[in-house]
Amino acid sequence: MLSSLQNPRQAAAQLMNFGLILSTAFMMWKGLSVITDSPSPIVVVLSGSMEPAFQRGDLLLLWNRNILSETSVGEIVVYNIKDKDIPIVHRVVRKFGTGPSAKLLTKGDNNLSDDTELYARGQDYLVRKDIIGSVVGFLPFVGYVTIMLSEHPWLKTVMLGIMGLVVVLQRE
Amino acid sequence: MYSSLVRIQNTFGFFTTVAFVIAALIAASDFITPRAPSVGMLKTTNLQVVRGRPHYYSSKKEEYAIIKFSLDADLSSLFTWNTKQVFVYVTAEWPSTSTTGVTIASNATANQAVIWDAIITSPSADHLSNLGPAALKKLRKSAAGKAIDPSRGKLSLKNQRPKYQITHPSGKIAEMADVTLRLHYNVQPWVGVLTWNQGVDYGLWKQLSGGLSRKFTLPGLKKKEEAKKTS
Repeated sequence: MLSSLQNPRQAAAQLMNFGLILSTAFMMWKGLSVITDSPSPIVVVLSGSMEPAFQRGDLLLLWNRNILSETSVGEIVVYNIKDKDIPIVHRVVRKFGTGPSAKLLTKGDNNLSDDTELYARGQDYLVRKDIIGSVVGFLPFVGYVTIMLSEHPWLKTVMLGIMGLVVVLQRE
Repeated sequence: MYSSLVRIQNTFGFFTTVAFVIAALIAASDFITPRAPSVGMLKTTNLQVVRGRPHYYSSKKEEYAIIKFSLDADLSSLFTWNTKQVFVYVTAEWPSTSTTGVTIASNATANQAVIWDAIITSPSADHLSNLGPAALKKLRKSAAGKAIDPSRGKLSLKNQRPKYQITHPSGKIAEMADVTLRLHYNVQPWVGVLTWNQGVDYGLWKQLSGGLSRKFTLPGLKKKEEAKKTS
């Protein structure tokens, strides 16, 4: 490590390398975002309301384009509610009307009642623009790391530290 | 070059590569497994429209349709080694009526509401289902020693009560014409792509045959005295 400090050219190259890794990851995420037309094309399941289909920590791949058909009943969608920043993954159980103003009602498979209680005050239904994607792909457990990180924030510092050290210590 | 750090990195990298390749192979195996789901019979057995409130503290009165139905379906081919659960649901569909009372063909299914659903877990996912201990024991016993149990895909319901009483945002549903029931399914894999019933054949996956009931008209509102008796 000290040797790399003594050699500024090598230190700069390592810094560039680190930047390249970060920007590649960011570009892949944003590229996927453009392809799927979703602000968050991959989400981690945070609650058990869709059990047994989805457990906490499962990774879901979203698709937000209506190429062949409209978002319809039976699809599992991820939606955002005004003033609440946690996306919710539930199934559409009712749809009234067609087009962007169609009224959609959702429900978690594992919940007894529908989501009317979860919606904003005075909101009885969702519309298409509340939805940030329909679930098309499923990868179990992989996202559990992010739940660990958000529940134990010190892990974040440790991981960043380790990653930084590895990059700095690596010598080509 | 051969520090322990590099070795740990290589081991972890190799592990994730192998895990992802195996997951991809398992997911791909779905597409070479034939599916031929069929519905023998789906018909309504009893129709009722009652007045009620959306929830206890509401003063709004709405009309609710209670549609009882009978169903015979064979979805056993959907159960493979990669099936975690099959979500089966029956929807009622009806067209949106314009002010002139004429329905537009493209809007034939403008309104769709689930009246009944069921989660059929694969034996490998039984431990995840949200059941009481007794029901869970019974479920596990029903497929003891089996990793895949296609017989769970054979459904036979007689005069089934709906799980959900449906209404329309307008609160009016009595005497609604051209209502149909339709059976759908959603296959949830252990890993891979989620699939729904399809209207056309895709390779080895045949379309769902049947699954649509005859058109029916909902009855008028039940008289108050009658409604009291049933409740």
